[in-house]
Amino acid sequence: MSAGRCSDIAPLLVFYACDEVQPQERDQIDAHLVDCASCAAQLREEQEMQSALVSAFQPADQLDPSGALLAQCRSELSELLDDLSAPPLQEKWSPFGWIRQWMALRPGWSAAGLLLAGLAVGTQVALWIPGREGNLVGGQAVNVKAAPLTNEDLSKMAVAGVNFAPAADSPGTVQLRVRTEQPMVLSGSVDDADVRRVLTYVVMNGEQFDPGVRLDCLDVLKTRTGDKDVRHALLAAARKDQNAAVRMKALEALRDSTTDDAVRDTLLEALQHDANPGVRVEAVNLLVRSLEDKEGGATSAPVAPRVAPPAVSAFPDPELAGSQIPPDPSVDRVIHALEGLQRRDPNPYVRLRSAAALRQIGPREVQ
Amino acid sequence: MATVASLPQLDERCIVAEAQTGNRAAFEELVRRYDRDVLRLALNLMKRPEDARDVYQEAFLKVYRNLHRFRFECSFYTWLYRIVTNVCLDHLRRRQARPEDQAPETNLGRAEEGISDFFERQREHRPTLDPERQLFGKEIQARIATAMERLSPRERVVFEMKHYQGLKLRALGDALGTTEETVKNSLFRATRKLRTQLGELR
Repeated sequence: MSAGRCSDIAPLLVFYACDEVQPQERDQIDAHLVDCASCAAQLREEQEMQSALVSAFQPADQLDPSGALLAQCRSELSELLDDLSAPPLQEKWSPFGWIRQWMALRPGWSAAGLLLAGLAVGTQVALWIPGREGNLVGGQAVNVKAAPLTNEDLSKMAVAGVNFAPAADSPGTVQLRVRTEQPMVLSGSVDDADVRRVLTYVVMNGEQFDPGVRLDCLDVLKTRTGDKDVRHALLAAARKDQNAAVRMKALEALRDSTTDDAVRDTLLEALQHDANPGVRVEAVNLLVRSLEDKEGGATSAPVAPRVAPPAVSAFPDPELAGSQIPPDPSVDRVIHALEGLQRRDPNPYVRLRSAAALRQIGPREVQ
Repeated sequence: MATVASLPQLDERCIVAEAQTGNRAAFEELVRRYDRDVLRLALNLMKRPEDARDVYQEAFLKVYRNLHRFRFECSFYTWLYRIVTNVCLDHLRRRQARPEDQAPETNLGRAEEGISDFFERQREHRPTLDPERQLFGKEIQARIATAMERLSPRERVVFEMKHYQGLKLRALGDALGTTEETVKNSLFRATRKLRTQLGELR
């Protein structure tokens, strides 16, 4: 009879095979195995299986024989520790940080919420702002800044809006909402020095301002093209403003000054070099008109021979008045430019318009 | 700050204490002393180098962040081993929870290919395998690996640490933060499962 029962010994064989039994258990098992072939066979199976499993084991050193993995691990750990050791960035005080976090996790809800909030602010809150509309159109705005604007003020200002009120009750009144270091409303006549300076500054330095504001300023300034500074600003806008609509409007504003050489030069330049076909057509129209003005103002009548002196000039030279006026070389330049345009302009409408303009001038040209 | 050169000569307790004050050089000395063992254990348990790398980083970061809590109630090595083992267990559990991360058991072709490489490498590096081990063909070895994958994470860790790391069950209990009896039960279940799955190997 073997020592101990098989049912007691068998569960211990797993641990016996891997040397995890107590000394007294070992003695008991050894004694049992002497007489129990079944348990002895089970132990062999256990040992064989454990041996087989161990044989399938690949030592870790062979998984990383070159030590490359260890080196990589060390390098990565060092970088992580560097990050952890680095002084923490100064956290900005963010009282609404939880809102940002919430919104980042729920973009759909956030978008809907922001939309509703925007609607609420746009439709309700603006109504509660006292005097908002009154400042704009009431004509009673106060010029907040008493001192004249400095050049620095001009360079730093942002024009939030221009309001031109040529109404009967306040003819020629302009209101300019200007943001400098201190927001202000400039209110006054178009002829007011500060108002004029702001308007011309905006037109001449278009890149700093919104195109809509520039167009508004041009609307105001076109009533004062007789002023040298205004004309200078309009010419600058016509030549170099980034926005084609602004350039076109600047040219249009100069329509009454086309007899001025500088204006004529600008028109010619626009005719030949402006990138926008609309601007080029506008230049054609104005040049034709200028030639007609020279003739005497009748738009339907053929223009005068190019050798004829200008009958009307915005800036008549008193020395030439009453004397024989020499041929105007600018007419030749206009015709030459139009001929070039008619042949080479990439835009068919510009070519057609140039051809029409030449026909208008033509009867005189053949003389 | 203690110099790096002086640290290897220091007693481990002093290095740990120094690292607890925030001395980076002391901490790195601890890493250098034990990281081979850590990576070896991680490789043995995880099998995949990329997983072992993750375990290495995660374990040492845990050590770095929790070193101030170490009270010298056991050796630093035991404490570190416990952390590494538990990180491995966590990874194995996550892997088991994500079928796509498990060994491709159902795709026998790929499984055998991967395991084949595993054993091919093993042969290359073990030119003097005893004849008994050479009896095991690729198919049988693939099945062993598959059977190991089917153990629960704890059973697998216990089995591997017992048989591959050579740890005694008492030390295993320490490492896993449990009792020797619990570990013994896990080892017993692991062995039974493996035997059932690999029964026809005899």
